[in-house]
Amino acid sequence: MAERSFEYELSRLFADAPAMPDADLFALRVDERLRRGWTFRRVLIGGLGVVGGVIGGAQLLGGGFVDRFGETTVASGRLLTGKVIDLIEDAVMPQGLPWVNDVIWAAGLLAIVGVVYAVTRVAREF
Amino acid sequence: MADTHTARASAHDLELVALAATGGRDAFGELIRRHGSAVRGILRRLGADPASADDIAQDAFLAAYEQIGDFRGEGTFQSWVKRIAARLYAKRWRREARGAALAELMAEFDAPSPPESASADRIDLDEALKALSPVERICVALCYGADLSQAEAAQALNAPLGTVKSHVKRGLDKLRVRMAPGRSLDAPASDVHG
Repeated sequence: MAERSFEYELSRLFADAPAMPDADLFALRVDERLRRGWTFRRVLIGGLGVVGGVIGGAQLLGGGFVDRFGETTVASGRLLTGKVIDLIEDAVMPQGLPWVNDVIWAAGLLAIVGVVYAVTRVAREF
Repeated sequence: MADTHTARASAHDLELVALAATGGRDAFGELIRRHGSAVRGILRRLGADPASADDIAQDAFLAAYEQIGDFRGEGTFQSWVKRIAARLYAKRWRREARGAALAELMAEFDAPSPPESASADRIDLDEALKALSPVERICVALCYGADLSQAEAAQALNAPLGTVKSHVKRGLDKLRVRMAPGRSLDAPASDVHG
């Protein structure tokens, strides 16, 4: 019992720490170190980002990525257009109408104009 | 601006922790002002000199800021930072202890005489701690000051649990003699073994 009581008293004495007169100065020092740490991190991350960007850009240009990307885009554009035209031919266009690519493009254009007009009207209303 | 400062000063620790967790450095600064002395104090009682204690306390608060999302409010914020600080000190102590011979650390320690001004009846923990060997002192302070269990203290010191237990026991015996009311502080700490 006395043992427990002594241990309790010891814990209480340890917890009873006197306030130090330079507590504010200590807090300022820690804050300064925190601020320096974050500035350093920002500079480091920014620097690594720039270096990574430069290396990545050089790799893309050096590897002919832009040319290949352009070719792929053109090829996939052609493929997609062909598929859309086939789909419309099979499912939407009435049988027997003369089929011209320009008709599809004109209809698409008109649809876009219609949507823009509708959006403008709705925006004016509200 | 003054209102914000007043609000911070009257806020509960948990509110300040929540603000600090979202990047509020001012809120964290208030926590440092509140608990900095206690953290520096426990480091000194563990055996660190004042300059080292301040360095380690700063490191502990920086680590606490980094890990503040891990603080669940199960204990007090002060206790949480004290444990971080105590582990940092134990790590440094281990490193420094590697340079010293283990036998030297374990050897019987000649307690220094207390200063002339020490009152015979005063229970002065800091004076009494001087009667302990460095290894007894760190073991006792880790367990009773930093709230580590003996197993956690053993882990922090990278020492066998049995060794830590025996150092704690010997340290407590010496402190009990030193801190007994009415007993002169210059009584030899080795009395307990006699």
